Amino acid sequence: MTAINNSGAASQPSSGQMANVRFGVYTQPAPVSGKTVKDIREQFSKLWGIPSDAVAYKGKDKLDENYVVGPNDNLEFHRRAGEKG
Amino acid sequence: MTEQKRFVLVGAGGIGTWLADGLARLLEYKYPGSALVIVDGDNYEERNKERQSFTQMGNKAIATAHRLTQQFNDTTFIPVPKWVVDDNFAGVADEDSPKIKASSLISENDVVFAVVDNFAARKILFDAASELNNIDIFTGGNDDALFGSVYHYQRRDGYDITDHPVNNHPEYENPPDKNPGELSCQERASIEGGTQLLATNMAVAAFLLGRVQKTIVAKQSPDEAEIYFDLAIGKAEPYDRRPSLVSTVNN
Repeated sequence: MTAINNSGAASQPSSGQMANVRFGVYTQPAPVSGKTVKDIREQFSKLWGIPSDAVAYKGKDKLDENYVVGPNDNLEFHRRAGEKG
Repeated sequence: MTEQKRFVLVGAGGIGTWLADGLARLLEYKYPGSALVIVDGDNYEERNKERQSFTQMGNKAIATAHRLTQQFNDTTFIPVPKWVVDDNFAGVADEDSPKIKASSLISENDVVFAVVDNFAARKILFDAASELNNIDIFTGGNDDALFGSVYHYQRRDGYDITDHPVNNHPEYENPPDKNPGELSCQERASIEGGTQLLATNMAVAAFLLGRVQKTIVAKQSPDEAEIYFDLAIGKAEPYDRRPSLVSTVNN
């Protein structure tokens, strides 16, 4: 699956509006629209322990690090499922 | 006449033993006359007693079926002491490691529980389920500490009601581990089980039973098909994994 990259698009999403950021048990609406996946990863990585290689998704679509998050987007950093049993 | 079910439990270890007890009670009192198929090629060891419920040594499927048969009269427990492999498996199926193909194990209208401790074997079961029209397949696992997750893949009339997990999880797309059923006895013995905790094993089983109660017993939509939890901070988070989900926040 090719990662979505909207950098350089003619009309960039307006900045500072709310989007939903999620990682495992953590979820938080945050004013991150207009920021790239890379920027948001850096913002939340220490708080939630997001690994640097955690794939970013919007729905089923994998997102490029340069993807610019839009208002109301659901940005999910992939949390590996529990493995052992 | 009451409805009867066929549940298939793949894995009778840290999660599976606790889940087996819950599923047996559900079948016995809600769906009398039903069957619980228990599949596992592994054997119980003394060190398993710290986290797993068993009363005799030997093969896990046989021991668990024997234990439950003594407790429940209106449910049939069918042990399958084999490792699950995919249809393309070309290795040797010797007496020490008998195999069963996933497509031979599961069938239409089954409710399957894949609580094996590796992504490769779970993917084999999800892939086999994706060829069927009506099936529910639940999986769950935990990491070394107090984190765990469960997932419910449901198909009805040939369509995915919830996503195949390969669409949301790279570890299912390209499993980082190997299916124990495709390894030799020596290779299997070298696999580290990690430091698992009883509380997390039981919590995964409880979350799975909760999903069964909602989606199978009450027949409600499996909207929140995936749930992550962390017992350390007392938090659980559901994820909507319906294929048609529009990935924006509804304000």
